[in-house]
Amino acid sequence: MANHPDRDLEQFRDLLDDLRHSVPAVPDVSWGRYRAELGQKLEARRARRAWWGRPLPLVLSAGLAGLLLVFAVWGGRQSGSGVDLMTLEETIIGRRLGLLQQYSVVERLDLLEELDVIRNLDHLTGMRES
Amino acid sequence: MEARTLGSVELTDEALCQRVAERDEAAFDLLVARYQERAYRLAWSILRNAEDARDLSQEAFIRLYESARSFGGRAKFSTWFYRILVNLCLDHRRKNRRWALWTRDEADGSGESLLDRQPAPGADPVDALGRERVLSSLWAAVDRLAPQQRAAVILQVQEELPTAEIAMVLRCSEATVRVHLHRALQTLKKTVERS
Repeated sequence: MANHPDRDLEQFRDLLDDLRHSVPAVPDVSWGRYRAELGQKLEARRARRAWWGRPLPLVLSAGLAGLLLVFAVWGGRQSGSGVDLMTLEETIIGRRLGLLQQYSVVERLDLLEELDVIRNLDHLTGMRES
Repeated sequence: MEARTLGSVELTDEALCQRVAERDEAAFDLLVARYQERAYRLAWSILRNAEDARDLSQEAFIRLYESARSFGGRAKFSTWFYRILVNLCLDHRRKNRRWALWTRDEADGSGESLLDRQPAPGADPVDALGRERVLSSLWAAVDRLAPQQRAAVILQVQEELPTAEIAMVLRCSEATVRVHLHRALQTLKKTVERS
């Protein structure tokens, strides 16, 4: 790419001329209305800023921020000294260690359930016949 | 640089901006009167939507009012103001890109969105032949350029800003502006050759 901007654009001179001479017309604007709207928008912006600068919104914002801070600190303390979910889970598992030692029996529980159904098959057939 | 009177004193744009920083309403009104047409034209050229152009050019004036204190006077006022305006317009386009994709009509496979295919208000759609048609398609092609390229072309062609000023407006180096312009004009040249 050429270093000199004009030289760089020289090859596009005709194209640039075409563009310059055919710039699309901008839609008509009522400048009085435009300035009136601008004045209203500026006034609204000023009013909004003024409202946030008043003592009440400032106090409300500070109060809300303080409340959130209190909740955050309180929540942190609660989780620090209170019952931790992980600890609770570990305790429950610890209590069931005996069950885990008999895990081979637990594994066969479904099989035992099926056996129970098979044993009662005669009884079920008898019930249907009656 | 323009100078109009405020009372009996002739003031430059930069001096008016300093007065706006001191909350001088009359100075602000003068700056608005001086730049409203240029601001609207530039915004419309980038956005091609009359309502958005009005809103964003007005927003640029509000930002000017609010941040007049930050105008250090190192750059020309016009450059500083164009920077505010162009940034607003490019941000707006970026936010609306998703919407433009939704409005894209895939039926003809041309890749142009419905908005892109709206004729420019100044171009007569009846002129379907010859040079008028070529020029019309040329500006339609400008509308389809990448936002930065498009802004660079509009600032160069329409506002007639030198490359150094375009670089300041777009917050990039002069070399980057030249790349934007070169690529944009190459694309436009191809469009002309095709039509």
